[in-house]
Amino acid sequence: MVEVFNNFLGGTITLFSDPIGILIFVGGVVGGMLFGAIPGVSMLTLAAILLPFTAHLKPEHGIMLFSVIYCTGVYGGAITAILFNIPGAPENAPTAFDGYPMTQKGQAGKAVGAAVMCSAIGGTVSAVIMMIATVPVAAWAIRAFGPPETFALVFFGLAVAASVGAKTLWKGWLSILIGLMIAVVGLDPVGGIERYDFDMPYLLAGIHFIPMILGFFAVSEVFVQAEKKVTGSYEAPKMSVDFPTFKELWSHKIAVVRSIFIGFFCGILPGIGATLAAFMGYNEAVRWSKDRMEFGKGKIEGVISSETANNAATGAAMIPLLALGLPGGALTAMMVGVFQMHDMEPGPLVFINSADLVWVVFAAMFFANLSIIFIGFMETKTIINLLRIPFQFLAPLILLLATVGAYAVRGLTIDIIVMFIAGVAGFFLRRSGYSVAGIILGLILGKIGEQTFAQAMQMLYFEFSGFLDRPIAFGLLLAGVLTLLGSIYGAFFKKQPQQQPE
Amino acid sequence: MSSNDKQATSHYVEAAIWLILAAFLFIQTFSFNQEIEIYRYGAAAWPRTVIVLMALAAIGQLIFNRTRANRYEASKLSQALDESTADQAEESDSSGLKWYLHTLFLVALPFVYINLPKILAGTTDVGSPELNRYKLICAAVVTVLFIIAAWRNHLGAVLALPVLFAAMMQDLGFYALAPVFILGIMFLMGERRAGMMGAVMMGIYTIMMTMFVVILYVGLPTGYVRPFYDFGTWMVKILQF
Repeated sequence: MVEVFNNFLGGTITLFSDPIGILIFVGGVVGGMLFGAIPGVSMLTLAAILLPFTAHLKPEHGIMLFSVIYCTGVYGGAITAILFNIPGAPENAPTAFDGYPMTQKGQAGKAVGAAVMCSAIGGTVSAVIMMIATVPVAAWAIRAFGPPETFALVFFGLAVAASVGAKTLWKGWLSILIGLMIAVVGLDPVGGIERYDFDMPYLLAGIHFIPMILGFFAVSEVFVQAEKKVTGSYEAPKMSVDFPTFKELWSHKIAVVRSIFIGFFCGILPGIGATLAAFMGYNEAVRWSKDRMEFGKGKIEGVISSETANNAATGAAMIPLLALGLPGGALTAMMVGVFQMHDMEPGPLVFINSADLVWVVFAAMFFANLSIIFIGFMETKTIINLLRIPFQFLAPLILLLATVGAYAVRGLTIDIIVMFIAGVAGFFLRRSGYSVAGIILGLILGKIGEQTFAQAMQMLYFEFSGFLDRPIAFGLLLAGVLTLLGSIYGAFFKKQPQQQPE
Repeated sequence: MSSNDKQATSHYVEAAIWLILAAFLFIQTFSFNQEIEIYRYGAAAWPRTVIVLMALAAIGQLIFNRTRANRYEASKLSQALDESTADQAEESDSSGLKWYLHTLFLVALPFVYINLPKILAGTTDVGSPELNRYKLICAAVVTVLFIIAAWRNHLGAVLALPVLFAAMMQDLGFYALAPVFILGIMFLMGERRAGMMGAVMMGIYTIMMTMFVVILYVGLPTGYVRPFYDFGTWMVKILQF
């Protein structure tokens, strides 16, 4: 413990004694929050734009910049999710389920305030646990978590997520299955065989998830609001800057603690990241709540659970990245790129060869999460004024920002076309009660699911009974099957709780 | 047709769409159903599983709708399920076969623009002056058709305009198209004050150019059909001077 503290102190001194380091830290904090909070773009857009420039930075500065953007960007994405129903990233999607209805009820300030506090708490606690637990947890994860366990976790996550966002469970499942089918497009993960490419070279590489996210969330939301404008049923969101009281937040302490555990657990698993953490944090809040029918209608606990869990996953996601070299999501995958640009490979050797780098990054993440409280409240007072802008003026800005966001990833105009088509599809699917969050989750987890299933079956010599010999995998699969059966029973024999569509 | 019959028809149509989609996707799997030496299930097993589940979920949804939703048709649950579709759609006239066909025509126009010049010019070579000439002609014709079709279907036009903007961007560039796009979206959303529209367009354009071109040096598409290409490159030169 003393060693951890000394290392943290060393990292902090290194970070704040270097003017360039401070500049990059502040730039990352503000940039992550801003890009997370601007409708239509996200921290991934900023990271994609900055990635080539990190080649000119020191390795510790490059990694630190991305880790800081990760922490503050995950929080920043909650702002647009709450104010405009446009999650900055998939991990903010469950935040919108209750955050946006709160805005419509004139409680935007409360929702954003809860997001600020809980993001900071979740992230800071996660950063502390990350510092203490990285080495032992990484050692456990290496032993206990192979492809069968990861596949089982993906299965469980999808089974749980089916009940979120859609108007009926069937539509929730169909939404996830659409996402899984979109993930199939391109080369198969084992043999590299072309699937559903229709002789189009663009489809060979698969459909990139950033244009899909922007299309299904940002663009389709603009279309939904446009329908209201055209039909004259549009109501401007009510303004408010009333932050939640300490008493209000304290009454949800159990939800915060539960979400920290869920977020950390999900974040630590390679390839899962903060998205599943946020969904599971939200789902568990619904499951444990006495008045679950109120979720989706503007319940602050929904925002608290989702935002605590997704920020708790940020620190945890660094563990598989640094200890195993396995990214937990899109942004950590970009961090692998930063390592590689400096001729380094993330993995156990980083702790031996580049201990300074690791502790500067850890210290930066800790302080980035703390800064969310201070900068977050100041920023909120400004950002919330975006609600004053009439939507017919905001809409073209959102669409153009989304255009640049989709284009900046790979420099392909076809990504912009794909994004707008996804927006049109998202508009009609949402109208019919399907869940765009389910589609995106299916898309992201589908690739991981198929790959880990193939690896698991090869490992288990194509014997499904092999799962029975692995307690964690078996437990997760059983939990997933029970969740599915429970929801089928609920769909036919019980009155379903109504989830607010996006 | 009573609302009960309408609802039943919509349930059957929805299930039919899912099942047709599943059948189409399943048939496509035969084109890549190849064996993989190290993986006995092959490349088609995973998508086929997803497709079968999709068909089962569609059938489950139909059964659910016809049994449970019928039982509760007059109840609050049923009303809640259809609140945003039926009510708004009837109010806005943005549903029904006519509206869908009209919108389909609008959304199809960008794809006409993408493909027609190549067919007319008989080449896909982007440097061909013949192709570029056809692109300019098609862009003008498609734009006029779009304006005519959009006149009585503003919502359909809002859905289709971004797709048309994206389709033309590769040829005509972001710099020239963005102002027109901004004005078009504002107009379709009901803004009619010309001065305000001009000011907002200038403001948004300035923000975009400053943030992305001046500060972040993002290379936005300049297009390659003259004179749009010349305008795009001129803008970049001015902004990144």
